[in-house]
Amino acid sequence: MLQRTEAIQTLADHRGDALSVACMQSIVPWHEAQQASQGHIDATGCMGSASSIGLGLALGRPNRYVWVLDGDGSLLMQLGSLVTVAGLAPTNLYHFVFANGLYQSTGNQPLPGRGVFDACGLALSAGYRRAARYDDAATLRDDLPAILAAEGPSLIELTIEPEDGPPRWARVPMAAQVQTLREELSVSA
Amino acid sequence: MQTEATPLAHPIEGRVIAAELRRLGVSHVITVPDTLQRTLITAIAEQGDPVLLPVATEDEAVGINAGLYISGHRPMLLVQNTGFFASLNTLRAIAVEAQVPTLMFVGEFGRDVTKPVSEHTSPRVRVIQPTLHAWDVPFYRLDSPADLPHVEAALRESYERRGPVVVLIGAATS
Repeated sequence: MLQRTEAIQTLADHRGDALSVACMQSIVPWHEAQQASQGHIDATGCMGSASSIGLGLALGRPNRYVWVLDGDGSLLMQLGSLVTVAGLAPTNLYHFVFANGLYQSTGNQPLPGRGVFDACGLALSAGYRRAARYDDAATLRDDLPAILAAEGPSLIELTIEPEDGPPRWARVPMAAQVQTLREELSVSA
Repeated sequence: MQTEATPLAHPIEGRVIAAELRRLGVSHVITVPDTLQRTLITAIAEQGDPVLLPVATEDEAVGINAGLYISGHRPMLLVQNTGFFASLNTLRAIAVEAQVPTLMFVGEFGRDVTKPVSEHTSPRVRVIQPTLHAWDVPFYRLDSPADLPHVEAALRESYERRGPVVVLIGAATS
């Protein structure tokens, strides 16, 4: 299995100028990998909404890649979003799902259906163009260029090790990030 | 002798509202359909501008609205009162706390137009205004053709406040 931090670093190495939306326990590692200072939003306090915010960005900026850093528990919160994404079919949306089978932020309780549900299978059934699962960094690193060269929407499930320790939370208010990203995208008030 | 009760809300033509949304520069109408706004949804779809985006849940609609707003568009939501209640936590996080202008047309499904909303036994009709007050969400009513300017006022207020503003639709659009 992957460590979350090595998966984050592997993604960071390939991000380029993609816009990103992160949620839950991927937020702080994404900040620590220096990926949050530009082109980024933390989806905080709205578990399950990262992919919807990403979908809006992808539809609004079809010339930019949009990456969503989701969790398996978050995905379950708004599972219907897979169908909405697939139906609107933005070719520039890449949906990374960090999967540890746990609600890590509330103390590592197991997800319902842990080990039974199949995020890649759900995405493909919903109509995503591609889905793939990775559990080692070397293969992920080798495959990422091809994943990103192919049209989305794509779901990339990253099987990560459970992590101990208290949850970590972003300290940047989402409202500030919203206005900053609008300014970066040259949107007037 | 039985007398016919006077309606308190009257139909507005869906195509008139759709034309107003286009005039105001609304870019997308993100919707989980509403019984009362059927003809409005049809009119928007036929008009083609704004773009009609059907989605699976009202939670998603709030998130997509944010992404489109951030990227420079002027979206809005069209939902039913039941769906409004379903979306409250996401609305709290994204529209209120993240300060995203979020204009919502909310159809009062289950309303008897001959009664004031406060006299309804159905909570989905009776408690929506108290809920909006409690959440400090401004709202307007679209209860007759004379209320059409409320759409522009609501849109403007959502941008001035950077938050949610609701337009309650009291009678089925025609």
